[in-house]
Amino acid sequence: MSSVPQNASATVRDLHAAPARQKTAAPQTRRTEIVADLYQAFKEEGRTLVDITWEQQRLHESRRWSVVELVDAVTLENVSESDRLVVWNAGRAELTTKPGADRLARLADTECRRWQGRDATVASILQACGTWSRYWNEEEAHHETSFNQLATVLGMEPITDQTFIEFRKIFPDDDMLRTLTLLAFSEIVAAVNYAHSARMVQEPGLKALLKQVGADEIQHMTYFIAFAKGLVDSGRYPAKEAFAVAHLFLREGGEVQGSKRERVEQRETHVNWWDHVEYREGMNAPDAVEKKETLIFHALKRITGITVSSAQEAEDMWLELVGC
Amino acid sequence: MLNAEELKAYIQTKFSEHACLSPNEVFGADLTLAAIITRSERMTNSVDLMEAFARTSNALRKEHGIRVRLPALALDTPISKVLEAFLQEAQRQQEGRAA
Repeated sequence: MSSVPQNASATVRDLHAAPARQKTAAPQTRRTEIVADLYQAFKEEGRTLVDITWEQQRLHESRRWSVVELVDAVTLENVSESDRLVVWNAGRAELTTKPGADRLARLADTECRRWQGRDATVASILQACGTWSRYWNEEEAHHETSFNQLATVLGMEPITDQTFIEFRKIFPDDDMLRTLTLLAFSEIVAAVNYAHSARMVQEPGLKALLKQVGADEIQHMTYFIAFAKGLVDSGRYPAKEAFAVAHLFLREGGEVQGSKRERVEQRETHVNWWDHVEYREGMNAPDAVEKKETLIFHALKRITGITVSSAQEAEDMWLELVGC
Repeated sequence: MLNAEELKAYIQTKFSEHACLSPNEVFGADLTLAAIITRSERMTNSVDLMEAFARTSNALRKEHGIRVRLPALALDTPISKVLEAFLQEAQRQQEGRAA
């Protein structure tokens, strides 16, 4: 049961006084897009959370696809041994996205309330992020279930309930800008891997699925960049945090190398999917490290406005921003 | 030019300051990097640890003109090993400048 607000009578009066906008909503012919400049949207243009949520919903609806249809379109007997491993790895990797999204929803809301009364624009940007996380979570469910269902019908080694639960461990909390930057970079790694895999596989149904998932990851990356940029634009979150995460990925033996690193950190707290991708003989390893690095530089530019074009430059910039 | 002992003391002081722990607490007990993160009120995770190393490196460069590349080490590494790596790199740079 909802509580009655103290100014309920005023609210009702205002509602009656407000002119009806239209009896039916006008059809939405405007192109769907991600609102890239959230700080400006809230601060300068006076857009509200309802406005931004409507844009999120429109884009989400315009991009909907059916897992059942795409999985059914794969001709199982034409999937090669190497391609099966792509499917198996992707399914396990995608299991770790739900805890990431669950955490984002909680973290964004907590952070939003921390700014309420101090900076309304930042609070709105964070609430827009937490609100959007439901679409991210739902879209990632498409990825997880499609690959795991395919791996199952292909007769691959099953994921035990124990592994499933292990991969659902919630990531530890961190600074919000770092979190968003890390998620943007993770989507870059995923998108490049899927694009590479889509080029390599021969079976058309699987190729289409990988392309679709890769396109989703690019869209998610763009959203994370927009939220991170909004925080930096507000002046409340220092750009050094975005560069710290960049250094973590780009440094020698950094996260961008994934499970191919000489030494992968053992974690008790959560499962990091790129640490767990297993390459086997005869499998096409989705490296394309240079492509991932280029996209990370591009993301950094969009988030912070600062241009770097090598790992060394990213490190130097981070050191400069950190100070003594 | 600082001698080895002076360099060691400088690095220990700076790093402890940024970790918000006493030099004795960090280096006396030879804590692992994971233990430092756990004990430090300023640190949440390895990114904070990286930043403490970065600030130490920046201080070395600013005050003594020595540029030390940041170490990328596993969290079970004891701080004595990190200190050793820092010292070796700092001394190598000092010698290079002197030559």
